[in-house]
Amino acid sequence: MKKIVSFILGSVLALNLSVSVANAAAKEVRIAFFLEWASPNQEDKVKGTFEKAFGVPVKWTNFATGGEMTEAMMSGDIDISYSQGLTPFVNAANSKKPITLVDVSILYGMKGTTCVVANSAGITKANASSLEGKKVAVALGTMADYVFRETMKVVGADASKMTIVDMVPEDSAVALANGDVAMSCLFGKKSIATALKSGKLMLSVKEASDNGIAGIDITSVTNKFMKENPGMVRTFLEITHEANARYKAGKSDMNVISKDATMDVKSTSDQMASFGFPSVDEQMNDYFAKNGILMKYLAIMGEMFATTENPMLKDYSKVVNTSFLPGN
Amino acid sequence: MAIGFLTIGIIIAVIGAILYGRRLVKTEKTDAVFGNPERAKGGAHWVIVGASFLIFAWLYYSWDIAKAFYPKSANELCQVGKVTDSLMSLKYLFPIDERQHKSTDIIDRENKNIQKYIIEIKNHPELNNQDKIILLKFINKASLTIPFLTDEKYLDIETKIKIKDLTNRINQLTEDFQKVSYPPIKSIEEENKRLEALKKQKGWGFTGEEVPTLAETPMGLKFAASAKTLNKISDEFFALRNHNAAYTKAVTKLRDEIKAYRKGLPEEKEVETQLAKEIDKLARRIQYASIFPPKTLNDIEQSIIAFDVVQNEAQGSLKFIDAVFFPGGTILSSGPTCSEDGPGRWLPKPSDTFRIFKDLLKPSVGFKYVPLIWYEMMDVSKIVGFILPDWIADAMPGKYPVHNQDGTVTPNFKSKVLSVVTGEFKLFKIPIPYGHIWDSFLRVFMGLTIGIILGVPLGLFMGLNRFAKGFFDPIVELYRPVPPLAWAPLVITVFGIDNVGKVFLLFMVSFSIMIISARAGASGTQLSKIHASHSLGASRWQILRHVIFPNSLPEILTGIRVAVGMCWGTLVAAEFLAGTTGIGFVENVARKYMQYEVIWITIFVMGMLGLLFDVTIRKIIDKTIPWRGKG
Repeated sequence: MKKIVSFILGSVLALNLSVSVANAAAKEVRIAFFLEWASPNQEDKVKGTFEKAFGVPVKWTNFATGGEMTEAMMSGDIDISYSQGLTPFVNAANSKKPITLVDVSILYGMKGTTCVVANSAGITKANASSLEGKKVAVALGTMADYVFRETMKVVGADASKMTIVDMVPEDSAVALANGDVAMSCLFGKKSIATALKSGKLMLSVKEASDNGIAGIDITSVTNKFMKENPGMVRTFLEITHEANARYKAGKSDMNVISKDATMDVKSTSDQMASFGFPSVDEQMNDYFAKNGILMKYLAIMGEMFATTENPMLKDYSKVVNTSFLPGN
Repeated sequence: MAIGFLTIGIIIAVIGAILYGRRLVKTEKTDAVFGNPERAKGGAHWVIVGASFLIFAWLYYSWDIAKAFYPKSANELCQVGKVTDSLMSLKYLFPIDERQHKSTDIIDRENKNIQKYIIEIKNHPELNNQDKIILLKFINKASLTIPFLTDEKYLDIETKIKIKDLTNRINQLTEDFQKVSYPPIKSIEEENKRLEALKKQKGWGFTGEEVPTLAETPMGLKFAASAKTLNKISDEFFALRNHNAAYTKAVTKLRDEIKAYRKGLPEEKEVETQLAKEIDKLARRIQYASIFPPKTLNDIEQSIIAFDVVQNEAQGSLKFIDAVFFPGGTILSSGPTCSEDGPGRWLPKPSDTFRIFKDLLKPSVGFKYVPLIWYEMMDVSKIVGFILPDWIADAMPGKYPVHNQDGTVTPNFKSKVLSVVTGEFKLFKIPIPYGHIWDSFLRVFMGLTIGIILGVPLGLFMGLNRFAKGFFDPIVELYRPVPPLAWAPLVITVFGIDNVGKVFLLFMVSFSIMIISARAGASGTQLSKIHASHSLGASRWQILRHVIFPNSLPEILTGIRVAVGMCWGTLVAAEFLAGTTGIGFVENVARKYMQYEVIWITIFVMGMLGLLFDVTIRKIIDKTIPWRGKG
């Protein structure tokens, strides 16, 4: 009996200790990124510029969705998430996770995330309301989720009357080809290319941007890392922005980047040409200003993805910190 | 409140059950033999203890007990968290939580980097001697800027005053903090405003308000006010840099020289450009870091430590509550909100979970426009229409009606038959369940039933017939060891994302298990029993029906039990991949929106459904094969 009691007490104590020790600071910087989502700083990633600048080892981990990045940040396995979508970030902010937005990393038009309608469905934006009652594949909780809801508003269809199938882009492209779904909202170069073989864009790239639908990827850091290593956050952004400037000057080594992004050189160049990498000035003037683009999107998305348990925040400027941008 | 009673009830129940158990053991001790199976019978009191431990662990690690007994503690810990948060950026420069001064750490690191560059430049094959000398000069100059920062005599008088000022402010705060009247009431209006805002604040764990942020208690007010002051101090301290005149001059000169050198470099000298740039970056890193002479910050460090001690003491019993009732974590403040950090974050409180579960159960709420489980009225004609094939109408003599000149259609016999076989007529309505839980249940049930119907006869056949065994063995044995989920991506592309694909996947799971168990049962029949019935004049069918089948029933029913478990596991994963309804779908979507309560509800529901299936089968086993385990 005594043995049982002491065993139970001992294991309770051990559990309490182990949970609190798990997050103790490690002497390395852990960064999350996406494959097939090329960015100029991948050159520095390969060449080891980040290690040199931080003075400590850097561990890069690739993820499938931004939501998974948040989960890893919460469990203390990731310090910096590069090019996390704005949607997963807003979801994290609404559920009061201790992470902060420090930089707008990539802007992408609807070439990167879009809705594709199956040719067989015979639906265009003129008769989009006939999507109601049909099946639609959406990668929920990602930027595709946001694009889906915004697109439906533009074409005047009621999203709540559709049957939404939650699918990752790779599956959803196949489902569209099979005729399982009438439309699929997805991201990623290869997946969209597959989907377009059996479908058409719901809104053209221009129509989408005219209606204010835009893709924004951001850099987020855990509050703990930000407080303890402000210099490293700053260094990370500095190197990233230098890489962006180098790309704009046409001096990036595309071979290195494409290899790291697991694509061929041509697709990499195409993809990066369709991306925008806003400079610090652009960000401060157009995005982070009081009524700037980013602040507006944060509020729109915050309301869009609010649930009864995780309602929208009153003020999203509190989860944004621009003081780490170089020159700020 | 209810949770409080529940906790006390659990503790009493556990103690009672343990005492009863001990007494029972004592009475049995005299005549007990080790290993007597009779002694494992009964023991409902140990079930109480086991279940109680489970509930208690849930209550404890989700911090529901803390919420029940100390409802204000989260709010107070939030205020303490605010202080910890603002102290964090003050502390991080000093060896308080760390081993070294941040300055020491940075200098150490950069000195190492400097050595690395020296070696790299000296041994670089692509550099000519002239450039090597210039670059080494730059590195040397960069390393020489550090003493300007670490020598006391270069320190600016303004920086000294600023540090002194910050130190005094922290000391003042420490003094104020110990007063009872701190924080002072500024004006009645402001106080009223504060109380008004406090009234609007919801409690801990209410929807949308994880931890209330406004201070509710006098102690909380104290911490909240000091956190505000500390934040200002820490911001100013954070912006403080030891950029004295001598240092600034040296570093500007160095950076100008590097710039001039880079400008003079021809385009193709990439290595030189890169190295010069990196040296420039190193110099800037030193410039940005908060490096001070070793003794300059001693006073401010002492004042921070002094405040830390005072605020630690002021926490009093709260520290004890934090350690005991908030296992594995605490309340953290970050930015505008306070949040639970530790198991309280991912393990929702039972009280919250049941409240949300009750909401989800309401048919009007549900999850993604579909209720968890509810019923709708459906006409029986739909079932008739489903069962009767449509070609019956086509096979009838005559032709389908054509519209006439008036623009109306008169139905004839053939079209009436068609409306019957397609179910387009009215009969009476019956309630049919639907919803996430029902869909999942139905999928498992269908997959299992089809698996049994096809698998059992085939298994028996394989157990009795040499041809069947030899013919089907390769197929079955090849596909059986493959984990069912390995088929999932394929099944989705072939059968689509609807029920057909999922039911087929489950069928594959149950089919192989049923074959194996039926085959083992059939081949395990004692030959003597078959001989006996044969000599009594039984036909082949009678032998199969009355001897072999009952003999394999124990194996078959155990197979079903195993298959049910496997089917649930596969189903949830299949619903993860693609789905519009089902428990697995609910869990997957909840994960994307970080609704941890919903995730736990789905886990709970799955456990209960699995248990329900298992209990049902156990009852069937007891009814149909009462002889099992007794021969």
